[in-house]
Amino acid sequence: MKPRVLVADDAAFMRHMIKEIIEPEGFEVVREAADGVEAVEAFRELQPDVVTMDIVMPRSSGIDAVKKIVELDPKARIVMCSALGQETLVMEAIQAGAKDFIVKPFKPDAVLATLKKVLEKEL
Amino acid sequence: MDLAKYRALFLEEAAEHLAEMSRALLELEKDVASSASIDVVFRAAHSIKGMAASLGYDPITEVAHALEDRMEGPRAAGRIDGAADLPLLFRALEGLERMLAVVRETGESPAADAELVGALAARAAEGGLKKKAPGRR
Repeated sequence: MKPRVLVADDAAFMRHMIKEIIEPEGFEVVREAADGVEAVEAFRELQPDVVTMDIVMPRSSGIDAVKKIVELDPKARIVMCSALGQETLVMEAIQAGAKDFIVKPFKPDAVLATLKKVLEKEL
Repeated sequence: MDLAKYRALFLEEAAEHLAEMSRALLELEKDVASSASIDVVFRAAHSIKGMAASLGYDPITEVAHALEDRMEGPRAAGRIDGAADLPLLFRALEGLERMLAVVRETGESPAADAELVGALAARAAEGGLKKKAPGRR
């Protein structure tokens, strides 16, 4: 069965990009969320296998969304999408329960390798 | 990657961000302590930076990154220094609009605006923020 992915980013551009990288490689994007609140609601509803989570988003940041999702499911597999210069925020997200991170601009090989690694992790 | 499709998406989303940024700056003219407006400017710069970097539009990435850094101080303080900040923020908005127009008209990356990047970085440094190496994203 294809791993089910929730993609959270306020930029449709970035959501498209992730989708185009991962869907041909056997992942299924089950929902796109445009902010942290939508991401938490979609996680609650769909229980995806993995979440890609942008950090800077309106309404609720990616870090706040990680905290809420981890409360719902401590074993949630969340990969942060960060830009260089956001190392402190990435560390905060990892401490809040995110499992790994990918850096923008996205490199397809790195995105796929990170998602596969996170899915294979024993939790 | 279908460059034309992503370029169109970029132009559309970036124009929306700049329109929001423009409204936020007008709000900040009236209320220098509008933290919601400060957040809008910061997020717009951040989003444009990420998209431009993905398409290799480095001059846009640099301006957006410098603007994002510039907004860190006001975000922490919850206010801007109206007299000193607003002219520069409007200049950054106009600079980004100009650069987007070049992409829209030519499909090519615009020329760098070292003066604007420098002015934003200098204000960020004055605000007690650590200056970052040029080109760092």
